[in-house]
Parts: sequence; C-alpha cells; structure tokens
Amino acid sequence: MPRPIRALLALAALLGSLVVVGALAAGPAAAADDRPVVTVGSEGIYPPFTFRDPDTGDLTGYDIDVVKAVAKKAGWRLKFVEAPFDSLFAALDSGRIDVIANQISINPEREAKYGLSDPYTYSRGVIVTAKDTKDITTLADLKGRTAAQSTTSNFAVTAKKAGARIEPVDGFAQAAKLLEQGRVDAAVNDNIAVLDYLATSGSTKIKIAGEAGEQTQQALTFRKTDRDRLAEANRAIEELKADGTLKRISESYFKADVSVEDGGDAQAAGRGGRSGLDVAKDEAWPMAVALVQKTIPLTAISFVLGLALALLVALARISANRLLSAAAGVYISIIRGTPLLLQLFIVFFGLPELGITLDRYVAAIIAFTLNVGGYAAEIIRSAILAVPRGQTEAARTIGLDYRQTLRRVVLPQALRTAVPPLSNTLLSLVKDTSLASTILVVEVLRVAKTAADESTEYLALYLLAGFYFWIVCWLLSIGQKRLETRLDRYVR
Amino acid sequence: MTPLLSVRGLTKSFGDHHVLRGIDLDADQGTSTVLLGPSGSGKTTLLRSLDTLEVPEAGTVRIGDVEVDFGALPAKGRAREQQLRALRAQSGIVFQQHHLFPHMTALENVVEGPVTAQGRPREEALADGRRLLEQVGLSDKASQYPSELSGGQQQRVGIARALAIRPRVVLFDEPTSALDPELVGEVLAVIKDLASQGWTMVVVTHEVRFAEQVADQVLFLDGGVVVEQGPPDQVIGDPQQERTQRFLRRVLHPGG
Repeated sequence: MPRPIRALLALAALLGSLVVVGALAAGPAAAADDRPVVTVGSEGIYPPFTFRDPDTGDLTGYDIDVVKAVAKKAGWRLKFVEAPFDSLFAALDSGRIDVIANQISINPEREAKYGLSDPYTYSRGVIVTAKDTKDITTLADLKGRTAAQSTTSNFAVTAKKAGARIEPVDGFAQAAKLLEQGRVDAAVNDNIAVLDYLATSGSTKIKIAGEAGEQTQQALTFRKTDRDRLAEANRAIEELKADGTLKRISESYFKADVSVEDGGDAQAAGRGGRSGLDVAKDEAWPMAVALVQKTIPLTAISFVLGLALALLVALARISANRLLSAAAGVYISIIRGTPLLLQLFIVFFGLPELGITLDRYVAAIIAFTLNVGGYAAEIIRSAILAVPRGQTEAARTIGLDYRQTLRRVVLPQALRTAVPPLSNTLLSLVKDTSLASTILVVEVLRVAKTAADESTEYLALYLLAGFYFWIVCWLLSIGQKRLETRLDRYVR
Repeated sequence: MTPLLSVRGLTKSFGDHHVLRGIDLDADQGTSTVLLGPSGSGKTTLLRSLDTLEVPEAGTVRIGDVEVDFGALPAKGRAREQQLRALRAQSGIVFQQHHLFPHMTALENVVEGPVTAQGRPREEALADGRRLLEQVGLSDKASQYPSELSGGQQQRVGIARALAIRPRVVLFDEPTSALDPELVGEVLAVIKDLASQGWTMVVVTHEVRFAEQVADQVLFLDGGVVVEQGPPDQVIGDPQQERTQRFLRRVLHPGG
C-alpha cells in the first residue's frame, strides 16, 4: 500500500511546515519600526508586582511598570507573555522569552546561571501562617513543617534550607488559600505581596508571623549569553534611579521607595471590594474571548489535524506492510501510554533543547494533534474493520480502486460506527486544551486562574470557567446527536 | 468462433486445501454457463477467480482480449494491480448476499461504478442506471435505500449494479440462496430475461430446474476438478459420472 506512505509523508511535511512557521513566529517578529522586540515573561498573578487590572484587564503592576520604563530608555519594543512562575525560567532557557520581570531575587545560584540586572527592588521575606498558629515565628521553626511555595522561587530555597517540606503551588494567592484551609503550616513570601493579599482579600485567617532572614534584592533576569541587553538594562535602571522615575513608580504602588535600601515601610492598598459575583461578571467577557480565541480554535484545529493523522495511522495499522503497521502500533502505544501533559511539555520545553523552538500555539496544536491522532486511530481502525468484507469486494468488482473504495464505501459506513467514540475524543479534547495554560497559552482556565489569584474569588471564577467548558461540550453533543440521526437515515 | 471466456489450468489452494486443481472452461459470446457441484467443490472459488476476488496460483483466464497468466503474475506492485484491474473490468458479479452499499440509494448503487470508477458523465450514467432499474422491474425504487427494499428487490438492484459497468461477462454467485423461497422466482426471472437478451453469463446455483431451462452448458465440479460437462439435457438429464448422479439425486429429491 504505497498510498498511506505517501499520505503520511504529506502529513509529516505539513507538521514540519507548522514547526517552521512556529519557529519563525517565535523569533523576533518582523516589524514596522526597527526597535528590537524584547519578550517579557511575567506571572500576572502576583499583585501588586504583576497582575491584571480588574477594571481594564491589562497586565500591570510594579514590575511591569519598571520593565516598561526600562524599555523606553533602552529603546526596546516589549511583548508580554504570561506564565506560571515555575514555567518562567524554562521559558527563558528555551528562548521563548528574553527577560523575566517578576520579583526575581538575586542569589548565588541564579547569578551563576543567568544574567541578572542591577536590583530595582529591596525587599524582605516574611513568614505567613494561619491566625491561630503559635509555634512558628522564625525560620528555625519551619523545620519539619510544610510550606507552600513556588518551587523555583527564592523563597522556596529559603524555606527548604530551614528544613521545611515544600508543597508546590502556582503562586502566593494559592499558598494563602492553602494556609486558610489549614492544608499547610506556613508560606514564605515577600512582605509587600503578603500585605497586598491581606488588604485585597480582607482575610483574617492568616497573619505575618515573623521575618524570613535578610533583606533581598530583585532584578530583571536575562539569559547569561544576552550580555548586550543586560548592559542596556543596567544603563536604563541607573538612569531611572537618577531621574527619580523608579522612586515615582514605587511610591505609586507602595507609598515608599522600595528601589533603594531603607526606602521606608511599604504599604499595600490592595484592590478589595469586589464580591465573587462582581468578579465573575467582570471576568465573564475576558473568559468568553479566551474561549473563542484560544480554546475553540485550539480544539478545532487539533481535532481536524488529529483526525487526518488518525486516519493515516489507522490505515497504516491495518496495512499489509509490516513495517508500516509496526510503526503505527508503536506510535499509538506511546501516545496512549504517556500523559498528555507530558507530551505538551516535551513539545514545548523539551524540543528547544534540540534546537526546535515552537510558538506556544503551534506547540499546543502539535501536541494535541499527536494525542488525538493516537486515540482516534484505534477508533477509526476498529470502525473500518467493522465494515463487512463484502462491501469492499463489491466496490472492487465495480472497478473502484483502493482510494475510491475507502472514500466512497468504507469511510461513510465506518463513520457511523465511529461517531460516538470520536465525539468522546472531541469532548475530552475541549477540556484537555486547559492543559495548554501550562505552556503559556492564555485560554479559559488560565484567565479564570489569573483573576482568581488576583481577587481571591476562586469558587465563582472556577464555576464560571466550568460553565464555559460545559456549554461548548453541550453544544457539541447536540451536534453529535444530529450527525448520528443523519447517518442513521439509511438504517432501519 | 473463439470463445469469449476461456480458462485454462486454473489452480488455487487455501493453505493445504486445494480448492481448484486445474480447471478448464470455455464460454461463447451470448451463452449461459451453469456451475453445479456440492459445497466445497470449488465452484464459487472458480467464479470469484474470474473477477479476481480470488487470485489463483497458476493457470490463465481470458475474457475478450484481456488475458492474465496467474502463474506469471508479479507477487505485488503496480503491474500486478494493473493486470488484475484490467481483467476485473471485463466482468460484473452478483453476490449471494447482495452487498449493496447501505448508504446509497438503489440508483446511486447502480451508478457508483460508471461514475466513480469509469468516470462516465453523471447524467448519462443516471439515465443508463434508470434504464437498468426498469429492466429489473424497479423503476419506482430508484431513490429507496437498500434497507427499504425486500430481499428480492435488493438482489435485483445488485444485478443492475453489476450490469451498469457494461461487463462482457456477468457472474452470479448463488444469487437466490439467501432469499426466502417466495422471492426466488422474481430474481430467476430477471436472470432468464438477461440470458434471452444475449448476455454472456456464468452462474453458480443449486437451482437445477433453472439450469435446465437457461444453461447452454453445465459444468459439474467436485473436489476442485470438472467432473462432467456438456449441455444440460446431457449433464442433468443423463449424467454419466457416479458423483454427478449422486449430487443430482440429493438436490432433486432432498430427504429421499
């Protein structure tokens, strides 16, 4: 069967060109003005340093304002990418972002590995516990206790050195929730971030229990090799300090200058006052936009490409060519035998080590396509085998060739068998696209999470996100019913 | 006159089982050949070999001026497929189970071969298809799906579908065996009608009475060889071989 081979090659070429397009898109984009594009990575869920303004929906915060001011001095054009804290360094390593602006504390390990700018924040860490915890007031008390931390953060290192067990979380808001719920003993974090959380959430269930060591300094973080850009940043920071810009930015957020040592006690105003319902109302539109712009296209493109791939894999699997059949078998086995999240990570974070850096959407589409391809291949294979042999014989005797037989006789009948299980695959895919949030795709769940961490209204936002996913799946299942009815018209 | 269909030394086995052991067969243009024989005698395999649904190991099949020497056929590849397709195009087959395409209407079933495989203009093929459906008495069923037709009607659509590709030989593989007894007559009537119109046919059947009426020649097969052959009044009316006699007794007087 040479045709499946040819078709497989064609698909490989298609995926290959996606890779190339993705690689191009990930590189410095061609632009109208000739300022260099610098891509900034930031959490967007760590107020007041980096968060989404609840009124405008724009990324804002002290770190964001600082990096914007630096860019202005240095003559950069900025592009922002939001990602969980623990993805930021991997994204920097793999070249997806050029600089992290996210309160990155200077420590010897980071100084060895990265290009750290001059500090733009002087801060101190504090230990946070539940209100009624009495026996934790110093770092030494953390020994043997559980601390909720972002695993790659400097505070995690501090807590670990003190002998705490680390419970990995996605940001301070999540850590605070775990503390309130009594699921962990402590969290070490930045004084200002904690003050901001307390002011915003109005939480009375947690408190600052003590100091966590010396003052620390935070810096913009570049790749070690990116010396020119680091030098530009340092020049810019020096100028911003000299002309008072940094002081002004700091005071607008903290009523104190945190850009110098001993700039006074910082205060955090917080952004309180919104009820869960208000937050849900405010976020309904951004989430709908994410649904239409990210979740649905990701699902649709991956499903269509995945089905095409699955058809070829299924044909290869039932082909008389043993090599082809074995290759298809191995592929199916790998896809079905490994977690989808892992497949996403390999495509997005792993391939760059081989020199293949894909745009996040392209990476997501490739990973989802490969995943759907593996699962749907088995569905299509069994549906094809369920078509009676007499059908293909009859097709051959009236002169149809392999392809015509497949297209005109086998697939229309296999489709009827395959629609219900393929619908399951599609519905799973709709929900699985939420995993793309881990590779920097701002889809529905990511928007909900960002808003939830900023507002601390978890229940309302996650219910809303669930509602969006459910609506899409519900509409799809109606489509499935109609399709089945249509395909059933010739069966009595 | 050169026979339209000519088979020489055809052999075929499934594993250790030798189904055809050197079959010869000639059929003239416009004649009907009936293959009789007990189950497992190789008659269906012979018929399917003529349409290359089975590929024999050795021997030749020639229909018109298309000849395939199975002994010299490449094991795989394009050349093999081309040869088989050329021979396949010379005949149309009617199956025991009609094998109609369930997702196509009667008319769509009939025009599928002409339009998709032969690339004939759709309008022309549709007109031809309607004529063929009329010929098998189903002009009012053109837009029905197979599931909406009776067994006899389904089989008649199957006949129209086989004729639509304009084959030189029409092959029937026990066309009435799967039918309810009261539906057998209408299908046999259509086949008789075709014979009288001068179609060249090879029919595998257990309907001995039908063979007597329609066949120009009858071949009795057993154990993969032709045991006896000749006109029906000879093979059926006055069989010489013991195996033929025994088979006919069993078929004509079941239980007797």
